[in-house]
Amino acid sequence: MSEFIDRAVVEQVARLARIHLSEQQLDASSKQLGEILNYVGQLERVTLPDDVEPFFGAIESVNAIRADEVNSSVDRDSILSNAPDSDGEFYSVPPVF
Amino acid sequence: MNSVNESAKEARARVGFDQVTVVIGMEVHVQLATQSKLFCSCSTQFGAPPNTQTCEVCTGMPGSLPVINNQALQLAIKTGLALNCEIARSTKWDRKNYFYPDLPKGYQISQFDKPICGKGYLDIADANGAFEPRRVRLERAHLEEDAGKSIHDESSRGGNSKIDLNRTGTPLLEIVTKPDMRSAAEARAFLTELKLILVYIGVSDCNMQQGSLRCDGNINLHIEFGGQTIATPIVEIKNLNSFRAAERSLTYEARRQFDLWQQCGLTIDDSPKQTRGWNDAQQVTTMQREKEESADYRYFPDPDLIAVSTSEEEIAAIEEQIDRLPAIWREHLSEVYNLKPYDADVIVSQGRGLVDYFREVADQCGDSRIASNWIGQEVLRYLNESGLEIDRYPVAPRQMAELLKRVVSNQLEQTRAKEVLNEMVASQLSVAAAIEKLGIKAVDHDELKSICQQLIDEHPEVAKQIQDGNIKAVGRLVGKARKLNPNANPGLVKDMILKFLGI
Repeated sequence: MSEFIDRAVVEQVARLARIHLSEQQLDASSKQLGEILNYVGQLERVTLPDDVEPFFGAIESVNAIRADEVNSSVDRDSILSNAPDSDGEFYSVPPVF
Repeated sequence: MNSVNESAKEARARVGFDQVTVVIGMEVHVQLATQSKLFCSCSTQFGAPPNTQTCEVCTGMPGSLPVINNQALQLAIKTGLALNCEIARSTKWDRKNYFYPDLPKGYQISQFDKPICGKGYLDIADANGAFEPRRVRLERAHLEEDAGKSIHDESSRGGNSKIDLNRTGTPLLEIVTKPDMRSAAEARAFLTELKLILVYIGVSDCNMQQGSLRCDGNINLHIEFGGQTIATPIVEIKNLNSFRAAERSLTYEARRQFDLWQQCGLTIDDSPKQTRGWNDAQQVTTMQREKEESADYRYFPDPDLIAVSTSEEEIAAIEEQIDRLPAIWREHLSEVYNLKPYDADVIVSQGRGLVDYFREVADQCGDSRIASNWIGQEVLRYLNESGLEIDRYPVAPRQMAELLKRVVSNQLEQTRAKEVLNEMVASQLSVAAAIEKLGIKAVDHDELKSICQQLIDEHPEVAKQIQDGNIKAVGRLVGKARKLNPNANPGLVKDMILKFLGI
């Protein structure tokens, strides 16, 4: 298997993630992502019995749930202080359309 | 002009709309009736000042961790059971990735391949027989969190958008049907029945103005043409905010697709799924700008959440909480109370409260037809005009039954009984007190006789008309009897006058 993944795929992923990659970064990412996928791809060579259920997480326990109770929210001034821009009530963002 | 194309176009122009099968599937988002959000303990209360119901979890701060709300799971399973769905014994959470300012984490926590509710169905029918009863199959129903609310600058001066994240993280159940509906009327009936069931089992208030129920419709046409079935491109109509809008937009869209196909002949193979919106003011669907590559959501399991498993015992316990569904009540009112399907539907479609009210009144007054008529007309008129629910109706079932008993036994005739009911509603009096307040007394036989005689004497010309065969003229005398004594029973007056005149 090639050590590199297709540049077009890297460009597509970058576009979906809304990040800009320079030519140099595209080359580097193509190589690094390829190495990562190859490393993980070793798992595909393991033969499994047919009755093995897919495994979705690294934690084996299930049912960490909470009761439907309301606790106080974070104060608006504090939460909005994280925003790049706000009018004190709303987050303010550049127009979408 | 290409003559081959031209002749194909002419052939399409000869196809009638009656050779078209309309194919509709719906996606419905229902807000579940929890106190707190799906993955954090912020309130879900509607109408709070902007951004006062958010925290580190629902705004996606680094290091925060979501924990699933048990009540949301319970309500989702309850809904699934009421909709005949398979309930997953194990369910998990996935991230649906996209960028939008009202989605602070950059992904929505949803369910991709292991939804909490699997395949199910919902039966629809029309009480007036407008379409054949149909089973609408459900593909799935999954839990997901809602996004925030964007308020865009409408002035077209390009001002900033405002974002309120109070709604972010509110639990939604997305119910997806198979493309089983064959008309806009069926789609509306599906939505109406779905909403009724959800309200009956108490999993959502389904308040559309507050966004607790939102729907999208998928529609295309199958056209018999040239010996084969041709499918038009699928269109999804987004954000239908009322059932009327759903019905009208789907009706419009079916016709639009047909006209377009006749013009251009485009089929499902020529064009990907398109998203359109409903313009209520102009009553048309319009093309919506697509988010670039929006279909690529790159779902993957959410590493912050672990799977949830549900035992047979838990599912059985939830099933026990489900009382009779609307369809069962319709049957019950038809079979046990002998109501016509239409009349049963009028009561059932108003919600469980009115069903109980009707049963109590019918049981106590002993005449279910009269109970159904009075509730379907007088009570519903009052509720519609006042905007109240039946639990706030001023006349208790026992009092209503008392009133109707007097109607059944002819102690009160209908018009007077309605006056009594109005008085009971207005001054919250008992039947007896309202009758007394209105001065209604039974008119004894002798008095009735003298009233009738007086009318005949004073109106010999009318008496003569009646004797000459114009029986209907007696109505004029009956009307005058009410002026002489408002308690005179019109039916008795009529019979007696005719008897005096020898008819």
